Amino acid sequence: MPDIGGIDLFVLEFGDILHYYTPYTTTLFLLALIFTALAIVSRPEGQIDIAFGGDAYYAKETTLPEMRFRRFMAIACGLATMGAMGSGDLFNFTLFASLVGITNVGIVAAVKNRHVLNAAYEYGIVAMVATLPLFGGAALILATTGTLSIPALAAGGFAVPFVGKALLVLGVIGEGMAPFYAAKAEMFRAPGAPYVIMCSLSSLLIFLRVVEIAITI
Amino acid sequence: MIPAYPLGLLVAFASAGIAFFALMRETDGLHRLLLTDLIEVVTLAFIALVGTDLAEALILPGLVVGASELIALSEIYRIKEGYTRPPADSLQIEVMESAPAILAAILVVYGIVLSGFSGGAVAGLGVIFYFLCRDHNERFELIETASGYSWVLWIIAFFVFMIFPEYWFFAVMLAGSAILVKVMAKMSLIGTMRGGPNA
Repeated sequence: MPDIGGIDLFVLEFGDILHYYTPYTTTLFLLALIFTALAIVSRPEGQIDIAFGGDAYYAKETTLPEMRFRRFMAIACGLATMGAMGSGDLFNFTLFASLVGITNVGIVAAVKNRHVLNAAYEYGIVAMVATLPLFGGAALILATTGTLSIPALAAGGFAVPFVGKALLVLGVIGEGMAPFYAAKAEMFRAPGAPYVIMCSLSSLLIFLRVVEIAITI
Repeated sequence: MIPAYPLGLLVAFASAGIAFFALMRETDGLHRLLLTDLIEVVTLAFIALVGTDLAEALILPGLVVGASELIALSEIYRIKEGYTRPPADSLQIEVMESAPAILAAILVVYGIVLSGFSGGAVAGLGVIFYFLCRDHNERFELIETASGYSWVLWIIAFFVFMIFPEYWFFAVMLAGSAILVKVMAKMSLIGTMRGGPNA
């Protein structure tokens, strides 16, 4: 099996469940860490809409409780992404991926804007439906090989079914990659720039990680 | 003879197909939310089909993730559609005045005898029933705090399993009673979900 992650830099074992970091996943992990830190320290943007055909403009302000909730959700999203980057267990990875889906909805849920809430609702339904291929893929791999450990599967000796891998990738795509990204794009109308970035970044990082998993196992 | 696992997979994929078809046809927001729950059930069936102890352990987090997504989406739907009025008190049934204390006491005692997760579920059911029927102006912070501390005890029990395996009996007892309190406290909150100041 091709090993695109590189050598293990750090392995943290909890019995047969382990977290491991290769140069590839360390890079992704650091990216998530940096953006989580940015979400913690930065203040929300003050979005301004200009009324068409005149000098009038609307300044949108983010209230303090709303800002606190969204910041919390952005941090939770960052933590879930970081967990998914290092996880060495397929099922834990799928759980982290669905957690990213929930927190993405949470980041924009506090915004009292009908368009944003509609988009969040549609995205939430797609993300919820995507748990079927996500967990289905992991369960299929468990049923055919008897293990969920990514290093064990990568070591070879198991015939991992292609359907299982395909379902896994499909599930992650449903959590917010193209073409399902269309459901998410409208969510970025929400004011408060540093937090909505986590929506986009987390699905990108999760996708990069699932590609690595699908190629390695 | 047809092997059971492929047959089960076939049924699960067929159910998923039906659910997706229904979701495609449905346009009403609330009905689509209910249909996604149908898909969640098929997801759990996929995990359950594996049929090992590990699969049993994996169903619970799968269920929790599904339930939390459902709760988050229902909350968004509620705000999106502007449903802010708390539901009015409508049920006036005599049994709901007299029975709760006895039934809840029986269920809670039986739950404590069972202990562990299933005990917590039984005792929690009793407390849900009590809160559903009676006033629910209780001190919720207290329930939540008890739940939080018992969760910590549960985690400590797991560390005892890993670090001092010779004290396994102590850890089993600790985990059993802690999960009883935790599940009961969490479930009892469901009985109070009807709007109002504590919601």
